[in-house]
Amino acid sequence: MQQPLALDISLQVHGFTVLLGVSGVGKSSLLKAIAGLLPAQVNPYGDLAVEQRPIAYLPQGYALFPHLRAWENVAFPLSRSAHRHKDALALLQRVGLEDLANRFPSELSGGQKQRVALARALARKPQLLLLDEPTSALDMATRDEVLDELVREVHEFGIPVLAVSHDPHLAMLADHMAILRDGRIVQEGAPGEVFARPRHVASARLLGFRNFLSGQIAGSEHNSRLQVAGSGWQMQAGWQPALSVGMPVQLAMRAEDIYLQEDGAAHCCPNPLSVQVKACRKEGLSMRLYLEGPASLEMLLSRQQAEDAQIAVGNFLKVCVQPRHVQVMTAE
Amino acid sequence: MRSADHGPGFPAYRMTAGFDRFRWMGPALAGLVFVFLLAPFAALLFATDWPDFHFADGDLGAIRTSLLYSALALIISVLAGTPLAWWLARGQGRGKWFLDALLMLPLLTPPLALGILLSSFYGPYSPVGSLFSHAGIYLTNTAPAFILAQIYGAMPYYIIAARAAFEGVPRELEQISRTLGRNRFQTFWRVTLPLARIGLSAGVALAWVRAMGEFGIVLIVAYFPEGIPVKLWVNLQDIGLSAVYPLLWIFFLVAVPLPLWIGLRARRQTQAMF
Repeated sequence: MQQPLALDISLQVHGFTVLLGVSGVGKSSLLKAIAGLLPAQVNPYGDLAVEQRPIAYLPQGYALFPHLRAWENVAFPLSRSAHRHKDALALLQRVGLEDLANRFPSELSGGQKQRVALARALARKPQLLLLDEPTSALDMATRDEVLDELVREVHEFGIPVLAVSHDPHLAMLADHMAILRDGRIVQEGAPGEVFARPRHVASARLLGFRNFLSGQIAGSEHNSRLQVAGSGWQMQAGWQPALSVGMPVQLAMRAEDIYLQEDGAAHCCPNPLSVQVKACRKEGLSMRLYLEGPASLEMLLSRQQAEDAQIAVGNFLKVCVQPRHVQVMTAE
Repeated sequence: MRSADHGPGFPAYRMTAGFDRFRWMGPALAGLVFVFLLAPFAALLFATDWPDFHFADGDLGAIRTSLLYSALALIISVLAGTPLAWWLARGQGRGKWFLDALLMLPLLTPPLALGILLSSFYGPYSPVGSLFSHAGIYLTNTAPAFILAQIYGAMPYYIIAARAAFEGVPRELEQISRTLGRNRFQTFWRVTLPLARIGLSAGVALAWVRAMGEFGIVLIVAYFPEGIPVKLWVNLQDIGLSAVYPLLWIFFLVAVPLPLWIGLRARRQTQAMF
């Protein structure tokens, strides 16, 4: 090995698996190592040459051959035979692009290029499909389309896919996910679990949590609730084993999980917070509020709710968050 | 002139006029350089004695020699030079800058000096030369010598051009080809070569014109058989200018078509790609 990778990873791939990590952490390098494009020790497939590994790799730019038409690109991995053209057209049909078979890549849009690249990868009949940032280069509309199709294709073709990304939305659609940090997998599991229970603050940030509070465990009711206290606030969170009174912890909450408390329902809220609106920003169909209270918080409201509540900068609000939406992590 | 004199629209008009004034400078400069390069050839048009256009003895033989041996030298240069150009473009190695410098040596050496060098190295009394002469091949003043001299003159240029052409092919495409199940050779043939086509054809054209026009090296290593450049010299010495011009015109006629055709073909094939 000329240049050993600074990663030591063992990962399970079921169905559509997403490996989440910030930019620059080595996700692309990992895929290249699996494909054989970087020298590394890989198990399985490690003793095979690049062209022998039954793996298909889709890099970020799709790497379509500019001198070949769409169908010729798809036919590239196929051996020369009488029905090569037909097979390529059939694959293009599965991705919905048989009309564009004779176009050159320079005449295709981003989403179309990705589908051609996918068809080409599938022509290889791989046992594993590697995708590098499949959604970064696409606009929102195309992204959703392409993602749905991708997940459908994967389940239809029955090929396990390992996709790497920094986009948590992609991970939400996966069958299985893992978080990569500092050269290790720090958390792995079904997206529902991982999103609900991030183990570290950095992971929570990656998964889109925006609110963080530092405090200590003030009380613990076995299998019921945890009480966490910080400077000027007290919150209840869902119970977790292995946390005892006095432990310093970090709390994480999603901006979407904080909601406006209706007047008259104050006694129903286990975690009431009084905050003042510092700033607000329209985000498409939502409104993001920057709040100042026990800590700096962010809250995401739908446009309808924001209009109904007539929120303006400087207002004092009462907001609430359910204990099950408060994630507790040991402080690092 | 103040804008008040001509109304509020005037400054905008003035800016456009200035912009236009500079726009023809580019083509004008290009035209000047073009004229500079081609003026002597235009002069040749007038200096040639058209009514009395005839060849000297041995001119046709010289044309045949040049064409045939240049073609062979070109083929050998391309076949041998391409792997080296490929390795220079793609190979990993820390001493590559040193090899680049070494490759420059044949190019830097004055042709006569290179001819002398080759003569002493491949001559019949040198170790290498005597090896070949045992096999019946003499490497001075014979056809193999002529081709050898042309190869030394032309191959470095081809290697440099081909290397640039290969460097221009995105490495990612070659990697993808390998992940799609094609081995190194198939990748080279189906991906690298087509994408390097324009640069490679420029390299071939360059090597051709260098081989055809090689004088200094050939003069020393292979005075016989006579190619066109040496014959031009001989004609000048023995007869005079009147015997030089007709042969020169034929030289243009036979040397120019190949590079032109190669270039046009490569451009047309690559047009659809980008």
